[in-house]
Amino acid sequence: MLHYAMKELLKRSKLYLLSVMVIGLVTLMVITLNSLGVAYKEASRSPFDDIRGTIIIQRNGNVPENVSGVLLSCSLAPIHQEVTSRISKINDVRDISTALSLWVFDAEHFKRVLGVNWSDNFGKKLTSKLIDGSIPKTDREVLAEKTYAQRNALEIGGKIDISGQQFTVVGFIETTGNELVASDIYINLRAAQEMAYQSKNLQEVEAFDKTDVNIVFIDAAYPNVVAVTQQIKQIATSDESNAGKTPLGQTIGNYNIYTPESFENQISAVFRISDKLIWIISLVISVGAALIVARNTLHNILERRKEFGIMKSVGFRSRDIMREVSIETFIQVLVGFAIGLILSAGAIVGLAHTTISIAIPWELSPYPHFLLANPNEANVVQTHLLPIKLEPLYVLSSFLIILVIGLITSFLGTWQINRLKPMEVMRYE
Amino acid sequence: MSKIVTVNQLSKTLGNIRAIDNVSFDIESGEFLAVQGPSGSGKTTLLGLLAGLEKADEGSILIADKELTSMTEDQLALFRRYNIGFVFQAFNLIPTLNTLENIALPLYPERMNRTDMLERARKAAHDVGLSERLDHYPSELSGGEQQRVAVARSLINEPKVIFADEPTGNLDSKTGEKIIELLHNLNKEKGQTFVLVTHDDKIAKESSRIIRLIDGRIEHDK
Repeated sequence: MLHYAMKELLKRSKLYLLSVMVIGLVTLMVITLNSLGVAYKEASRSPFDDIRGTIIIQRNGNVPENVSGVLLSCSLAPIHQEVTSRISKINDVRDISTALSLWVFDAEHFKRVLGVNWSDNFGKKLTSKLIDGSIPKTDREVLAEKTYAQRNALEIGGKIDISGQQFTVVGFIETTGNELVASDIYINLRAAQEMAYQSKNLQEVEAFDKTDVNIVFIDAAYPNVVAVTQQIKQIATSDESNAGKTPLGQTIGNYNIYTPESFENQISAVFRISDKLIWIISLVISVGAALIVARNTLHNILERRKEFGIMKSVGFRSRDIMREVSIETFIQVLVGFAIGLILSAGAIVGLAHTTISIAIPWELSPYPHFLLANPNEANVVQTHLLPIKLEPLYVLSSFLIILVIGLITSFLGTWQINRLKPMEVMRYE
Repeated sequence: MSKIVTVNQLSKTLGNIRAIDNVSFDIESGEFLAVQGPSGSGKTTLLGLLAGLEKADEGSILIADKELTSMTEDQLALFRRYNIGFVFQAFNLIPTLNTLENIALPLYPERMNRTDMLERARKAAHDVGLSERLDHYPSELSGGEQQRVAVARSLINEPKVIFADEPTGNLDSKTGEKIIELLHNLNKEKGQTFVLVTHDDKIAKESSRIIRLIDGRIEHDK
């Protein structure tokens, strides 16, 4: 029967070409579109590689009237230790890191200063970027970002003045400049908290306690990010101190919770496509393909009804003919799937060479745009190669879809062949 | 000789026409029977009923002690596979299969070894004088050769009865004569029963018995 099926498909390949091409197209579309969707999700996580976490929490604050001395960056409000402590107790939170991002408007020039706990996950990630020297051991030691250090002729062992206090540069770290929570100077968290606490300007804008921070990084496994985020929102709601609106219309005291999903809308790319659209397209092309393949198969059965009549007359039962038609359908499915798989692999290799850009929200790349000649320079954009690969799940899904199409087709074929009366076919042919 | 076919009060209506009307007769094993009659007399319908390709409205058909009218479609198909051969006027070969494969067609559902299957087909091809044309496709064969393939196909399972519906109808007279000669030889050598529908009086006269149908009824049987 296999031999007969092979001969039929090869000798009358034109009859089956449409079905094979449609099956190939379904495979191509389902695999490529869904792999693209996964790639965008993957890409939206890229900015989080900088922080070893999956959730970032900040809080909107008041805008200072007097921009001088030490201030909380981007008008962020303090997050109290009681809140971070409650968040750390949420199930599925694997780790919690905290930082304090400050803007220091000194007489000579502006500095971004980030207070870091070197023993938490975020601190460890920064440590991995150390290119010279060592991490600060005392509250009077700092790390300088390489570019900033070059621009300001800083050397290891040299001094730097931050808000009237002298600090020793003990090392340099290298960042790409467009990372989340980028800074010029990195100091111990405790020293940054003390600096903020002592700042009159800052205290006039927000009541800052010595243990407060303004950025919290949470590491939760991806499947649990949504659940953890919901619980953080509950904690945040109970902590809200609504006190009017920021100039951008955000409620003061409200928490901003960034997850990879927040970045999905920040991605710009040539082939940007939403999950919903992918599902709709996949569904439409699958249904369309099922109709085309079924119609083509029924048409072919109609074309071959005399042949099936001959087969019945020489002793083929309906089930024998159906076995034959099913083998032919299965071969078409396999060939179409193989073609689609090869095309998908080619498309994915091509797409893997395209780049995507992710705009980082201003609050997460703290630089005061009003200090720049060109304010657009404050807009940080990350560019990544699209992390697309052939997703086994969607290879399997597409195979199951076309298998279902094949089964529907075979079922319709059975119905058609069962109704076929050999003598009628012979008589009217 | 024993009875191989027993037909009793057989009737079949096609549309509003009584194609076969209360027909009864027997066929002895090894007979070469010709069925004659004008167009529309019910010859082909009778052959279709006897071969189990069509369902009777009334009456019974007994072939090799098996009652056909009570069988399901699948049971009839299996019965045809092992007990009945059919040769059509229009040859009815599968265009995508070559001579050998067309002859072997009734063996395809058997799940038998392909080598054995083709060996049996080769023997049948030899019996009908087609040993030189085994790899040819129907479109590459003459009408006479195609009919020989159809005859070989009907013989492959060594059936008890072979029905032939106007086997020379699409052939020139010379080729037709050769086909009839072939059928007679097979009848003599293998002892198989042949039931032949024909318009040709010459072919009918060479048969051991003639049944003449008119309006679905047996006009004479001798």
